[in-house]
Amino acid sequence: MKLQNMFKKTRKKNYISLRDSKPEVPDGLLSKCNKCGSPIMTEDVKNGFYICPKCRGYFRIQACRRIEMLEDEGSFEEWDKGLTTANPLNFKGYEEKIQALQKKTGLEEAIVTGKIKVNGLDTVIGVCDGRFMMASMGEVVGEKITLAVERATKEQLPVILFACSGGARMQEGIVSLMQMAKTSAALKRHSDAGLLYISVLTDPTTGGVTASFAMLGDIILAEPNALIGFAGPRVIEQTIGEKLPKGFQRSEFLLEHGFIDKIVERENMKETLSQILRLHSKDTAPENVKVNFAEVSKEMAKEASSMSAWDRVLVSRRKDRPVADDYIERLFEEFMEFHGDRYFKDDKAIIGGTAYFHGRPVTVIAQAKGRTTKENIERNFGMPSPEGYRKALRLMKQAEKFGRPVICLVDTPGAFCGLEAEQRGQGEAIARNIFEMSGLRVPVISVVIGEGGSGGALAMAVADEVWMLENSVYSVLSPEGFASILWKDSKRAGEAAEVMRLTAGDLLKLEVIEKVIAEPENYTRENLDKVCGQLEIFLSDFLKVYTSFSIDELVEKRYQRFRRI
Amino acid sequence: MIEKVLIANRGEIAVRIIRACREMGIETVAVYSEADREALHTQLADEAICIGPASSSESYLNMEHIISATLVSGADAIHPGFGFLSENSRFAELCEQCNITFIGPDSSVIRKMGNKQEARNTMVAAGVPVIPGSQEPIFDAKKGAAAAEIIGYPVIVKAALGGGGKGMRVAETSGEFESSFNTAQKEAQMAFGDGTMYIEHFVRHPRHIEFQILADKHGNVVHLGERDCSIQRNHQKMIEESPSIALSPEMRRKMGEAAVKAAKAANYSSAGTIEFLLEKNGEFYFMEMNTRIQVEHPVTEWVTGIDLIKEQIRIADGEVLNYTQDDIKITGHAIECRINAENPKKNFRPSPGTITDMYLPGGKGVRIDSAIYSGYTVTPYYDSMLAKLIVHAGNREEAIQKMQSALGEIIIEGIETNVDYQYEILHHPDFESGDIDIEFIEKL
Repeated sequence: MKLQNMFKKTRKKNYISLRDSKPEVPDGLLSKCNKCGSPIMTEDVKNGFYICPKCRGYFRIQACRRIEMLEDEGSFEEWDKGLTTANPLNFKGYEEKIQALQKKTGLEEAIVTGKIKVNGLDTVIGVCDGRFMMASMGEVVGEKITLAVERATKEQLPVILFACSGGARMQEGIVSLMQMAKTSAALKRHSDAGLLYISVLTDPTTGGVTASFAMLGDIILAEPNALIGFAGPRVIEQTIGEKLPKGFQRSEFLLEHGFIDKIVERENMKETLSQILRLHSKDTAPENVKVNFAEVSKEMAKEASSMSAWDRVLVSRRKDRPVADDYIERLFEEFMEFHGDRYFKDDKAIIGGTAYFHGRPVTVIAQAKGRTTKENIERNFGMPSPEGYRKALRLMKQAEKFGRPVICLVDTPGAFCGLEAEQRGQGEAIARNIFEMSGLRVPVISVVIGEGGSGGALAMAVADEVWMLENSVYSVLSPEGFASILWKDSKRAGEAAEVMRLTAGDLLKLEVIEKVIAEPENYTRENLDKVCGQLEIFLSDFLKVYTSFSIDELVEKRYQRFRRI
Repeated sequence: MIEKVLIANRGEIAVRIIRACREMGIETVAVYSEADREALHTQLADEAICIGPASSSESYLNMEHIISATLVSGADAIHPGFGFLSENSRFAELCEQCNITFIGPDSSVIRKMGNKQEARNTMVAAGVPVIPGSQEPIFDAKKGAAAAEIIGYPVIVKAALGGGGKGMRVAETSGEFESSFNTAQKEAQMAFGDGTMYIEHFVRHPRHIEFQILADKHGNVVHLGERDCSIQRNHQKMIEESPSIALSPEMRRKMGEAAVKAAKAANYSSAGTIEFLLEKNGEFYFMEMNTRIQVEHPVTEWVTGIDLIKEQIRIADGEVLNYTQDDIKITGHAIECRINAENPKKNFRPSPGTITDMYLPGGKGVRIDSAIYSGYTVTPYYDSMLAKLIVHAGNREEAIQKMQSALGEIIIEGIETNVDYQYEILHHPDFESGDIDIEFIEKL
């Protein structure tokens, strides 16, 4: 039975009541989300990082609110107040517009700069305020950024800039364009002084700001779903006469295309920034490890086994063999992954970022196979594309700038062999890595944890020392490939494995590698600790020894390491 | 004058409130989720407004939408029922800010009574007995033993971060204390990574006795006697009755006075409930105050003859209670059984589905509060309660017989219900003799 309007309703009264007051929502109590259209309580938004509690959309926020969210209370010290534009083009009505905005917003110009403490760490900060002519960059904005960066360089401080801008300020014409050069040049000097610059992109970051200071961070972070691009979407649509796909030019799109390191939710921004600042601050000191090395190696020696080369190949490819993620979780603290090659894409076959090893900041870069088939598809079975190698190189260069040792984990069947990889220069990418790594001015260690497939492996193994896990392999080609080239029969892979001398033991004898790390029998994630226990000690020793060399000694030693072969 | 009420709830309580309003000549506005288009409350009200998708958080808990619906419909008051937003002080405050009459106490009272510590402090200050316990966190057995001595044995050691019975131990005597404390602390350390403990007097085999109070906005407070809600499963009440067989007239007077004192201390207005734990030796302790109408309110209505929902509306309208404590007379005995869509054989798991056929009992002294009808589909989104069966008779024995008879008449086809389970309880010798405590169901 369906009940549809079958009940009698209450009889309406035959009089009109006079109420003294009617229910109504007082001004400001409720607002409407400009993203999802839901009514929301203004107070919830204010207390919730200016994020819509219904759709999690981000509201644009004023510079002072942004600073309040980041600073240790009361630590903000504003710099360079009182600068106003000289209206270089004598643009009609411009001065009046500025004055009106100053009155309306209480701001002097579209950016606030100064110094703050973030969880106790000093940093220079600049925050754009979109209410002021969409925070477009005229001479005052450019000047304030430049002054702040110059002072940061002088005082040896990191810089954080929050971009939120429509680009160059049209009313100031060419003078505005020149601000792109001025700010970038100041950042170049800051960078050359070995100092850290974190760029945070918020909605929207476009035009001349994207094409200058916003994209120059050592580390580029972005808020979720922010519009980031050079040309605005409307301009692009008009030019090409097509509708743009959903999500185009949003943070997630940029992350996928390799232009930003990380998307950070607003509520985690302070923690993330302080973590990065702390990693780059000078007062991180390595701890001493207390592990009994003799015990561990003795225990492992007992378990050393004799296996054929082909069996070892098969073991190195086992599905339940630990992968890079397992080692990173077990060996390092506070691993923060950074994405993208800043050219084309973020290759998931290589993961990299910063972490602490025994309290010492390091850069970790790893070829990453997946733990499951789904993960493996995402990670392309550990076969890197050119953009993967370019990301690795970018992170190595970053490590070099900040004097962090580089720890590489090698585990790849080989560099990805495909059409797109060739189009984008797989050979060039590998060559460039080998070339640059040979002269990298920080200690580099590579550990082959599974398969060391040819050039794809070498592009991450031009190191001061290369170690191999007992059942990992490292060769010029897969045994299958070797057999099919030399004997025209890939089925003879087993035979090939024996003659190729690709096991850790063989390579140690050939002096291609420095160390073999014993594996327990039936090595899986379950007994990962047996290997990591050794790795931890070896790595700790390595870092102790190699960080004591002078940079020139280090580079010379690495040169000779390959020169002699 | 309240002329149009929006009912921010669903199910039988929404229907119950709509009926009270209809009787009072007040227009009603129902709100409903997309899953409740065909629900009885949606059909019965004068107007109905859809406020969102099935999920409660997007509909019946969506404060902004409910406020919007109120303004759009021109209602001047909101009745929140029970559950959902009924004890949400922010919602009550929002109503106050928007000049909507919230049919319930002030938001500040809801906030205060919703905070366990603050409620307890209020009661201590008012001289209402609370369970004796350590006020400070305790970290070692020695300090704990000293505290236990003051509290009085038996005591229960509880982890500050406790839950699910972990990190909880009873010590009967001082001799047992140290080992109980250490075991509980070790367990807490393992389970929650924290060894902060509290010690409380252990109330053995208590009854759950609650007092219904009514308070107007002019400082008049009366209690309407007690309800014995000891038959509960996992803290969910199943059967409630009034009066309680465990209370002598003297105890009733004492506890009732304490309840009135508690309500006055909380500055309460509207209908509310003070929950007590009653120990076998006659000691009773304040547990918490419910600042809303309760599921089991009909048993009180029947023994007192007072319509609690109508009283709530009158009080919200600023009227003065037109009776005093002396006018309240408890007549006969009332029992309520909650009929739920659940399968007792499968650990009481909810049993949604369409009711294909049904028959509900009636007759003298039988009341059914429900929102189901033949052809109604029980959705999986909300509480599984289908109906409340309430009976009233001259004394407890007669009331039990009436309930047994009425339960035996209920037919609900198409879904599983707990009717047979309730039927068994009503025939249990301990229930019949009134020898019950809150562990009754566990011991079955």
